[in-house]
Amino acid sequence: MITVRIPTPLRTLTGGEEQVQAPGETVKAVIETLEQKHPGLKDRLLDDKGVRRFVNIYVGDEDIRFLDGLETKLKSGDEISIVPAIAGG
Amino acid sequence: MRDSGRKRVLVVGLGGLGCPVAGILARVPELELWLCDEDVVDVSNLHRQILYRDTDVGSDKLTAAKAALVAAGADAERIVLVRSRLLPDNALELASEVDLLVEGADNFATKFLAADAAHLAGRPIVHGAAIRFVGTAWAVSAAGAPCYRCLFEDVPPGAQLGCSEAGVMGPVVGFCGALMADLALRVLAGDATAFGSLYTYDGQADRLRQVPASPRSQCPLCGVSPTISQIIESRYTAPSCAA
Repeated sequence: MITVRIPTPLRTLTGGEEQVQAPGETVKAVIETLEQKHPGLKDRLLDDKGVRRFVNIYVGDEDIRFLDGLETKLKSGDEISIVPAIAGG
Repeated sequence: MRDSGRKRVLVVGLGGLGCPVAGILARVPELELWLCDEDVVDVSNLHRQILYRDTDVGSDKLTAAKAALVAAGADAERIVLVRSRLLPDNALELASEVDLLVEGADNFATKFLAADAAHLAGRPIVHGAAIRFVGTAWAVSAAGAPCYRCLFEDVPPGAQLGCSEAGVMGPVVGFCGALMADLALRVLAGDATAFGSLYTYDGQADRLRQVPASPRSQCPLCGVSPTISQIIESRYTAPSCAA
């Protein structure tokens, strides 16, 4: 099982949950699984080119752009973090 | 370092983040603060923008902020007021005049503009942002790698939630503003370890997370073949959602 940490702006899609869990062997598979349970999440993370340019996805401390992108392999217990750009203060 | 022996810091935005940043840095005698803003104090600012009081509502932020800083003991001669937003036609000149930029802007266009101007002027920059219960802070070296565009690439399309719509918690900007000031002082002290880590503070969980940001070879600002070599106004508008 993979733990996914949800940033505040996206928690409206997860019923306020700070972190959710989903099975999946790749980042892409986890996102697809989450989309079934939390519709709209995938669209906030991905566009037709892949990960949206103002969103960063980490597996542990590694940015998936420097791994295998959405095809990055996962193992049970891994943690995915979603870090979107934010502006405000 | 200037003839005065002081280093100059440009604080972009005197909002929830800029207020604590200025409040901390104004107490450092070796610094000259350049404060950049053109807004007036609104009653909705007061819960988090700690330099202002209810009697400042309707006054311009720069005047109110300077008064508060001087009342707290800062030397008025070390506070320079720049009565403008950071704009494409002044960003590069302002960046070139200082030793460090610290931006807590409330919109992406200004964040990318500040990032580009800092890099093109060869200056380090500390970025900060906060919305609702979450805030971020990180420092970028003059050389970038990584820089703001390595991480977030370009201005997001469409309208973004701002503080007035989404809200922002006072303690979150206080925490992140203090962290930004800490990073600023580390950068000014020559601490290279200040660069490259993105700090994310979650005010609901009281959790501070530090993740390394990686340089991106295709970055248009600091990558191997950069395409951004000057400030062009059209670069700092968000493309429409339909794009």
